[in-house]
Amino acid sequence: MTTAASPLEAEERLTSRSSSKEQARFGWSMLSPAMTILLIMSVAPAIYLFYVSFRHENLLGPGSGFVGLQNYIRVFSSPENWSGAVATFQFVAISVVLELGLGLGLALLLNRKFPETNLLAALFILPLGVAPVVSALVFRVLLDPAYGWVDYYLQLWGIISDPIDWLGQPFTAWVAVIALDVWQWTPFVALILLAGLSGVPAEPKEAAMIDGAGPIRLFWHITLPFLRPFIAIAFVLRTIEAFKTFGSIFVLTNGGPGSSTEVINLDIYRIALQNFDVGAASALGIVFLLILSLITKQLLAILGRSTDIMEE
Amino acid sequence: MSWLGKLITRVVLWLALVIVMFPILWVLLTSFKPAELAQALPPIWDFMPTLQNYRDVLSGNTYTSQVFGVLLNHTIIVTLSSTLLGLAAAVPAAYALARVKFAGRQATANWILSTIMFPPAVSVIPVFVIASRLGLTDTWPVLVVPYAAFGLPMMIWMLRSAIKQIPFEIEEAAMVDGASRGQIIWHIVLPLLTPSIVSASLLAGMLAWNEFLFALTLSRSAIKTAPVGISEFTSMYGTQWGTLTAAATVTVAPILLIALLLRRRVIEGLTFGAVK
Repeated sequence: MTTAASPLEAEERLTSRSSSKEQARFGWSMLSPAMTILLIMSVAPAIYLFYVSFRHENLLGPGSGFVGLQNYIRVFSSPENWSGAVATFQFVAISVVLELGLGLGLALLLNRKFPETNLLAALFILPLGVAPVVSALVFRVLLDPAYGWVDYYLQLWGIISDPIDWLGQPFTAWVAVIALDVWQWTPFVALILLAGLSGVPAEPKEAAMIDGAGPIRLFWHITLPFLRPFIAIAFVLRTIEAFKTFGSIFVLTNGGPGSSTEVINLDIYRIALQNFDVGAASALGIVFLLILSLITKQLLAILGRSTDIMEE
Repeated sequence: MSWLGKLITRVVLWLALVIVMFPILWVLLTSFKPAELAQALPPIWDFMPTLQNYRDVLSGNTYTSQVFGVLLNHTIIVTLSSTLLGLAAAVPAAYALARVKFAGRQATANWILSTIMFPPAVSVIPVFVIASRLGLTDTWPVLVVPYAAFGLPMMIWMLRSAIKQIPFEIEEAAMVDGASRGQIIWHIVLPLLTPSIVSASLLAGMLAWNEFLFALTLSRSAIKTAPVGISEFTSMYGTQWGTLTAAATVTVAPILLIALLLRRRVIEGLTFGAVK
């Protein structure tokens, strides 16, 4: 301990050689390329959206102008936006819960050492590399009521008697949307948790087993506390990504049938780029951004409490 | 564990593998089927594998407006340039956040991380409107800059935690020997960072390669990428299963091969370096 100074002390010593003003100038100049790109893609769009949200913006001709709170009033009085909000939370909640539950189960099974587990764990990485557009198209083709394999084999095995038009009814369309997300991302959660499980030490487990603890108590009191940071990472990353989901739902159902699977992201896209009502889309975007930033704050707080990656 | 427990565990694991692999293997299988058998029910399992679908896709013998090989080239260009731009911005930023002391450092790092919540469906509106007004639609920057931004927070956080793990004494010793900060970063920090740079680039590259929304909105033909091209294989004229699956295979295979080969690096990247 006496031979090496801690990095912080060393940093202090080095810092004292140049003035803190110089340090700050150096730091910000190193940060400036990244900050420029991030400002262009986050703060600048947010400011623009805020500005446009108080305007009627006609992209194709004249008639643009200030309209006060009209866009916000329209956003809040449109039943489609409310159902979009419900659809979004429904999508995020159901898929993240399923992915964490199934992912944890899969990780626990993979943690039992069988001859094939390394091979299986390696192959489980594949779904997260598949472009969401491709997986959505494949699901769409497989679920086709006339030519799809899913209905064909379900009928062949006697599980259903008539083909199901999966994407033609709200409930089954939701099943398809959630199934697609769960297929794509459960292995991701499982691999994160598997990495966490490999760090659970054996000694406390053995000691508890000698004391007569059953498998459920072992899991609850020994495995789970060690897994906590990994569960937090998987939960936070999946939740944020689920709120941003666009391409897979756009390709699989395009929000249909009707608007039953139209999450907010699809709603905004349709209002802005198909109805060309940029003002209303911006108002909706601003409301969504505000809600998301509140949620993100909570999520990052969870990350900070459960892991050390947020520490200075 | 009892032999029954072991048996059940293994059966469940193999069942999970079948579910995970089925859509991928279905794509691969269908892409080698002769066009007239691709949609047949009951599914035909013994057929003469053919490369016709791949020839059709790469030579443009499909119903799509552009040759798919051209779109694939666009994807490669956009992926490489946005990843390189991201790296060029992320390495100095990560170094500053890890090693340089200044007020607001941690707040800046947290703000950078929090930008990952910005939904692309929201940011695409201003980018689309402004790009249209400036006449930038269908030019490289409207995809390269956003894609670099999508990968940046993760790259910076990963590289920052990697730089923190490099013993500072090494840098200090070099400084005592009269090396400048630029020399230290280039000759000492960068080589030690290589594994994390690979992880970060892999993830940023995957994001760019698979991105759909910005490409759909901001490209017409000059920069149209493969994911947008694939989505055009289903149209009002129906889905061409053979060419669709061949195009999907060509697009997805490079990513899957890299993911298999560099599995640990990919997982590290997907979790912002939190899982080593």
